[in-house]
Amino acid sequence: MHELSLAMEVIDLAQREAGKHGVSSVQEIQIEVGNLCGVEADGFQSALELLVRDSILKNAIIRLIRTPGRGKCLACDVEFEMLHRLDVCPECRCFPSEISGGEEFRVLSLIV
Amino acid sequence: MCETCGCGNPDEFKIHGSNHDHHDQHDHHHDNPHDHHHAHGHGHDHGHDHHHTHDHEGHSHSHSHDRGHKKVINLNMDILSENNRLAERNRGYFEGKQVLCLNLVSSPGSGKTSILEKTIHSLISTKKISVIEGDQQTTRDAERIEKSGAPAIQINTGSGCHLDAKMIHLALQKLNVENGSILFIENVGNLVCPAMFDLGEQKRVVVISVTEGDDKPLKYPYMFQTSNLCIINKTDLLPYVDFNVDTAINYARQLNPDLQFILLSAKTGEGMAEWYDWIRKLNS
Repeated sequence: MHELSLAMEVIDLAQREAGKHGVSSVQEIQIEVGNLCGVEADGFQSALELLVRDSILKNAIIRLIRTPGRGKCLACDVEFEMLHRLDVCPECRCFPSEISGGEEFRVLSLIV
Repeated sequence: MCETCGCGNPDEFKIHGSNHDHHDQHDHHHDNPHDHHHAHGHGHDHGHDHHHTHDHEGHSHSHSHDRGHKKVINLNMDILSENNRLAERNRGYFEGKQVLCLNLVSSPGSGKTSILEKTIHSLISTKKISVIEGDQQTTRDAERIEKSGAPAIQINTGSGCHLDAKMIHLALQKLNVENGSILFIENVGNLVCPAMFDLGEQKRVVVISVTEGDDKPLKYPYMFQTSNLCIINKTDLLPYVDFNVDTAINYARQLNPDLQFILLSAKTGEGMAEWYDWIRKLNS
């Protein structure tokens, strides 16, 4: 399962970075998940909650911050919210648009 | 869970050597040769500590601010940054040895292994070829490939659904990839997860077969967006199925206007010459 592998990457990253700062437990982890990044946020959160048991994140609040998809029409430059990668421009109905937001998938911070 | 590398079950990930030694390996060697940490402690009497860490390799930049008991470590790090770092190392290795590395991805049963068998038969007299095989279980595919005449390493991912850059890095230590040769990586049959994991390949080749739906590109957009070539296999079955080639190509081009297409049948050999030409152009 895709989200499971990605959750493992998050735990690995958190342990590595916490180690660099000499901390042994994390109170909260903030993760940005763009709506167009290809990760199903609910499944990802469940996977992470399952896997943190023996890790540095075991007592951490897992906070996902969702960012909307943004597109910029290549024909008329209009910027609009994209719900799906194949959305056409709401003004001129052109396709494709440049994706200008919503592809983020990163750990923003650890609160320790 | 493995505390060191973050993999799910350390007992499950296995690399089988080309001589079928079935030696289970789980390498916990983690090297970070270019990590530079510069910690600058600024002691302030008013009890407000600042730590600045600069990681030159991963471009992370973190500041921690101690406010009472809680401390915020700002990371802003891509979750796949470690995989991407290892993928770039693999890419550098391939460039240095002038190895053409192609990552083949598809659903299970699209015919990747059959395409590789035919390809090895046809090209092995003029080109050095080696193969990294990824499957959840068994060494069957690597054995098929070796019968075709190319050395192969089998990676069993256990419960894992894709290959990652670290598995390739470890497999390369066992597989003697010759200078100027071609390395095929046959990824785990899955159109979802392998899309996100760069292995360091030069080109990604997505294989679909006409026994699947022609709307596959719409259902799995990330894979088609990140691939360079789309092979449509089993064209000998076109008269018997509802697959519309133009529809599939149109959908895929909407997602990725630069995607190239080759129609072929590994069974009859139709279209294989075009595939070989595509490879030769990259490996000349």
